[in-house]
Amino acid sequence: MKRVALYAAALGFMAFAGFPFYWMLITAFKQNRDLYVGAFDTRHVPWIFNDPPTLEHVRLLFGQTDFLRWIANTLIVVVAVVVITVAVAVPAGYSLARLTGRWGERLGIGIFFTYLIPPTLLFIPFARLVALLGLQNSLGALILIYPTITIPFCTWLVMGFLRSVPWDIEEQAMIDGYSRLAVIVKVVPRLIVPGILTVVVFSFTLVLQEFVYALTFISSVDRMTVSLGVPIALVRGDVYHWGALMAAALFTSIPLAIVYNLFIDRFIQGFTLGAVKG
Amino acid sequence: MIPPRSFADREDLLGVAMLAPALGYVLLLVGVPFVLAIVLSFSTATAGSLSFGWAGFANYAAILSDPIFRRALGNTAIVTIGSQVLVVVLATAAAQVFRAAFHGKRTARFVLLLPWAVPVSLAAIAWTWIFDSTFSVINWTLKVGGLLHGWLYWLGDPALALVAIIIVQAWRIFPFATVIVLAGLASLPQDVMEAAIVDGAGFWRRLFYVELPLLLPVVAVAVLFGVVYTATDLGVVYILTGGGPANTTHVLPTLAFQRGIQGADLGQGAAIAVFLLPFLIVVATLMLRLARHTEVGST
Amino acid sequence: MAKRKGMDRRQFVTTTGAAAAAAVLGPTIWVKQQQKTLKIIQWSHFVPAYDAWFDKYAKDWGTAKGVEVTVDHISLADLTTRANAEVAAQQGHDLFQFLSPPGAFEPQVLDMADVVKEAERQHGPLVDLCKRSTYNPVTRKWFGFSDNYVPDPGDYLKSVWTELGKPDGPATWEDLVTAGPQIKAKHPEIQIPIGIGMSQELDTNMATRAMLWSHDGSIQDANENVVLKSDQALEALNFAKRLFAAGMNPAVLSWNAASNNQALNARQTSYILNSISAYRTAQDNKLPVADDIFFVPALKGPRGTGWASEHVMGIYAIWKFAQSPDVAKQFLLDLVAHYRDAVMGSKLYNFPAYPGSLADSGTPLAQKPAAGNRWLEQATANDPFGSNPPTKLRPIATALQWATNIGHPGPANPAESEVFDTFVLPTMFANAATGRMTPAQALDDGHQQVKRIFEKWRAKGLVAGGAGDRA
Repeated sequence: MKRVALYAAALGFMAFAGFPFYWMLITAFKQNRDLYVGAFDTRHVPWIFNDPPTLEHVRLLFGQTDFLRWIANTLIVVVAVVVITVAVAVPAGYSLARLTGRWGERLGIGIFFTYLIPPTLLFIPFARLVALLGLQNSLGALILIYPTITIPFCTWLVMGFLRSVPWDIEEQAMIDGYSRLAVIVKVVPRLIVPGILTVVVFSFTLVLQEFVYALTFISSVDRMTVSLGVPIALVRGDVYHWGALMAAALFTSIPLAIVYNLFIDRFIQGFTLGAVKG
Repeated sequence: MIPPRSFADREDLLGVAMLAPALGYVLLLVGVPFVLAIVLSFSTATAGSLSFGWAGFANYAAILSDPIFRRALGNTAIVTIGSQVLVVVLATAAAQVFRAAFHGKRTARFVLLLPWAVPVSLAAIAWTWIFDSTFSVINWTLKVGGLLHGWLYWLGDPALALVAIIIVQAWRIFPFATVIVLAGLASLPQDVMEAAIVDGAGFWRRLFYVELPLLLPVVAVAVLFGVVYTATDLGVVYILTGGGPANTTHVLPTLAFQRGIQGADLGQGAAIAVFLLPFLIVVATLMLRLARHTEVGST
Repeated sequence: MAKRKGMDRRQFVTTTGAAAAAAVLGPTIWVKQQQKTLKIIQWSHFVPAYDAWFDKYAKDWGTAKGVEVTVDHISLADLTTRANAEVAAQQGHDLFQFLSPPGAFEPQVLDMADVVKEAERQHGPLVDLCKRSTYNPVTRKWFGFSDNYVPDPGDYLKSVWTELGKPDGPATWEDLVTAGPQIKAKHPEIQIPIGIGMSQELDTNMATRAMLWSHDGSIQDANENVVLKSDQALEALNFAKRLFAAGMNPAVLSWNAASNNQALNARQTSYILNSISAYRTAQDNKLPVADDIFFVPALKGPRGTGWASEHVMGIYAIWKFAQSPDVAKQFLLDLVAHYRDAVMGSKLYNFPAYPGSLADSGTPLAQKPAAGNRWLEQATANDPFGSNPPTKLRPIATALQWATNIGHPGPANPAESEVFDTFVLPTMFANAATGRMTPAQALDDGHQQVKRIFEKWRAKGLVAGGAGDRA
C-alpha cells in the first residue's frame, strides 16, 4: 500500500516538473502546421504528432543561429565565474565562521545583504563601470560582474555550512602540530566539499540563467550567452520560432540536469558525513 | 595551545586576509554602484540625459501616490509568499518521496531537476504557450477531461495571471528546494530519529513533531533563497504578462523596468526598485534568525 | 569536478584564472585600428529576408568604401535597454536604429539636419509623418534620420467576410461591431472574431491610437497641449466597450506582439490590425490560410476620419559619442539611394521615408516623389513574392493617405514616447472595455497620467504646450 502511494507520488512530481519538457520535446520536432491549431478544437490532440515530425527547427537552431558559439561562450563565463567565486567566497566564508568571531558574523550578514540588491537597480551604474574598464561587449564584463551576485550568497552559505561542521578535526590537527594556515590549506577542504559543491552548483545556475546583465553588456550576437542569444535570435517580436526555441531549451537543460543529477549524490553524501561526526 | 608566533598562526591576520578579496569585491563592485543607484532615485535623471538634477523625494512621492505602484508592491508580496508556500509544501513532500529507494529513482530525479536546469527565459517562453488563451495545452487537457466547461483566460485575467505566475515560480524553484531539504534530512542526527521510532511514533507523527522542527533551519535557507530569487525576478513576470493585463500583475522589478527603462524615467525606476530592499531585508532577517539554529555539534 | 589538495588547488585556480582572463579579455585589448569602422545596431526585422539583404548590403558597401562594417541585431523589445546601457557607458554603436521616435534620447544624439537636407536635395521631400517623428519643433533639432515607415493595414480572412456580404473586408470601425456577433454565429470555431489586442504590447498601442484618432480624438493637439480628455475620446472608449462585447474575449488581454499573427494564422480570428509580416510568415510556412488573407486600409470612424499609426518606423540616431559619425551619415545617404532594393528586400514591408528614392535615376527632382509613388503602387499591385492573387497588396499603396505618426496631430516628442512605452492607452482602453472602470473614469485616469508625463518633459524643455492642456 505504501509502495503504491510512493510510486504514485513520485509520478505526480515527475508529471508536474516534467510536462512542460514533454511539450518542449514534441514542439521542437513538430511542423508549424501541427502547432498553430487552437486549443478550442478538441479533435486535434496537441500532445502527439499529427503530422510527421521534422528536423527543420533543429536545423534552424544549429545552422542559422550561433547556438554552438553561445554554448561555448556560456561555458567560458561559467567556469571563470565559478573559479572566481570559489576562490573568493570559500576562504571568506571560512574566515567569517572560524577566524573573526562576533564582528565577523555581523559582517557576513552584511555581505549577504548585498545579494538582496536587485539587478534592475544596479545595471545602469554597472554599464558605466564596464565602459570605464573597456570591457564593453565582451565576456570579460560578465566575468567581472556575475561574481557580484554569486559571492555574497556563497560566502554566507559557506559560513553557515561551516558553523555546522564541528571544529574537532581542525582542533585535533592543531594539537598535532600543524600551524593554523596549514590546517586551513590541508585539512579543511576535505571537510567542506559539500559546501564547495553547493557553491559550484549555485554559481553555475545563476550564471546560466542570468539575462539582464548579459543584455546590458553584450550586443554582438557572436559574444552572447545561451540565455541571451536564444530569445534574441528566435523571438523576433512578431514571430516566435517555437520549434527552434524549444529545441534550444532542451539542448541546454538536459545535459545540465544530467550533471546536476550526478552531483546530488555526492552533495548529500557529504552532508551526511558532516553530520555523523557530530 | 602553542602560543601564536608566525603569520601562519595569526588567526586574526589570516582571517582578514582570507576575507579581504570578498570584502573588496563587494564594496567596490556592489557597494559603489548601489550608492549610485540610490542617488539616482533622488534625481530627475532620464535615459537621454546624464545630467543629475536633484529631485528630492519627488520620485518617491510620485510612486507612493500611484495606485499601480501600490498594486505592484502587493503583487510582489503575493507572488513571493504564495510561491514559497507552495515550494515548501512541494519540497518537503518531494523530499520524503526521494529519500526512499525505488525503481527508476535516478530517472525520476533527473526529471525533477529539469526545471532547475533550464534557463529561466526559455522556460518562461514555453510557459506563455502553455498558458496561452488560444493555444493552451492545459485548457485543452482540462476540456477533454471534462473538467472545464468555459475557458480559462490565464494570462488575460488579473487573478488567474497571478496564479499562473505563482505556479511558474514554484515550478522552477521547488527542485532546488527539494535537494536542500533532502540534504537536511540526510544530516538529521540518527540517534534522535531512532529514538522516535523506538518510542513508537508513526510516520506522520515523526514527520510533524520530530523531523520538521529539526529541519526548520534548512527549510529556512531554502525559503530565503527562494524568496530572493522570486522577489527580484524580472524575467518570469515580464515574459508571461509584461505586467498586464492593464498593469495589474506588475511586480516591483517589472514596474521599475517599465518606468525606468522603457519609459526612460531612470529616477523613478530606481525609486521603485529601492522598495524591494526593505521587504527583502525583513524576510532575510527573519529567515536568518531561523537558520541560526543550525548548530550541529559544538561551536 | 576535480578535488585537489591545498597547494595544488591554488595553483590550478591561478593558472586557470589567468588563462580564462587572457582568452576572454584579449580580444578587447586591440591595438588601435587604422581602418575606418562603422558599427550599426538594429532590430531583428519582422521579415527575416530583410536582415539577410541588409547585412549583405552593408558588408558590400563597406568593402567598396574601405570601411569595416558590423551589424548587430537584437529584438525590438530589447532596443531601449541597449540604448540605455550605451548612454550610461557613453560608448556603443555609431548608428542606432529605433523603431519608434526616441524622443527621450534627444540630448544624446547628433542633429541630423545636414543629412536630411542632403537626402531631400537628392530625392525630394521627406514624408510628413516621418518628419513629425524625427524633428522636435521646440528645440529645432532633427533627433533622428528616418529611412522607412511601415503601414499598419487591416488583415482579414476573405472567406469569412464574404459570407457576411463584405468580400472586400470591413471599411469602418462600426463594421467590426456588426460583424462580431455574425461571425460568432456562423463560425463558433473562431475563438476571437475580431482580433484587436487589449494588452500592453505594440499592436495594441497601434490599435488604440487608430481607434482614438478615427473617432477624432487625440492625446495632444498640434501644439503639444494635452487634449486627451474629450468627448471624442469618450466616444472611442464607449466604442471599444461595444467592440469588446461584440467580437472579443478576455484572451486579448493576454496578447503579446506575436499573438494576433498566431491567431490569424491558426484561423482563430478573422480581422487583425498588423503589418504584412503576419502574412509573409504564413506564406513562409506554407500555411493554407495565406491565400485567404487580404488587406484593407485604416478603418473609418463615425465622421469618416480614418487614421492608423505607422506600425513601426525606422529611425536611425547617431550618438554624440559615436566614433564614426561621418561614415555613418554617408551610409545613411547611400542606403536611401538604394531604397528600391530595401523595399524589395523586405518583401514590401518597408515603405520609403523619401518616396523620390524609388524613382528611376534619370527622373528630374520635381517629379521624383510622384514617380516613386507610382513605382510603389505598381509593386504592390503585382506582388513579386507569390501572393495569390498578385493584386492582393494593392490597398497598402494608399498608406500615405491614412498612415500617421505617434503624436498625431502634433509631432512625436519624448512625452508621447513615454506615453507609448508605458502603455497608457492600452491600459485605458482595457479598463474601459472590460468594465474594470467606466469609460469616463478610465479616460480621466489616463488623462491624468498623460498630463503628469507631459509636465515632466516640459520641465526639461523638450516639449511645448501647457497653456492649452485640458483640466
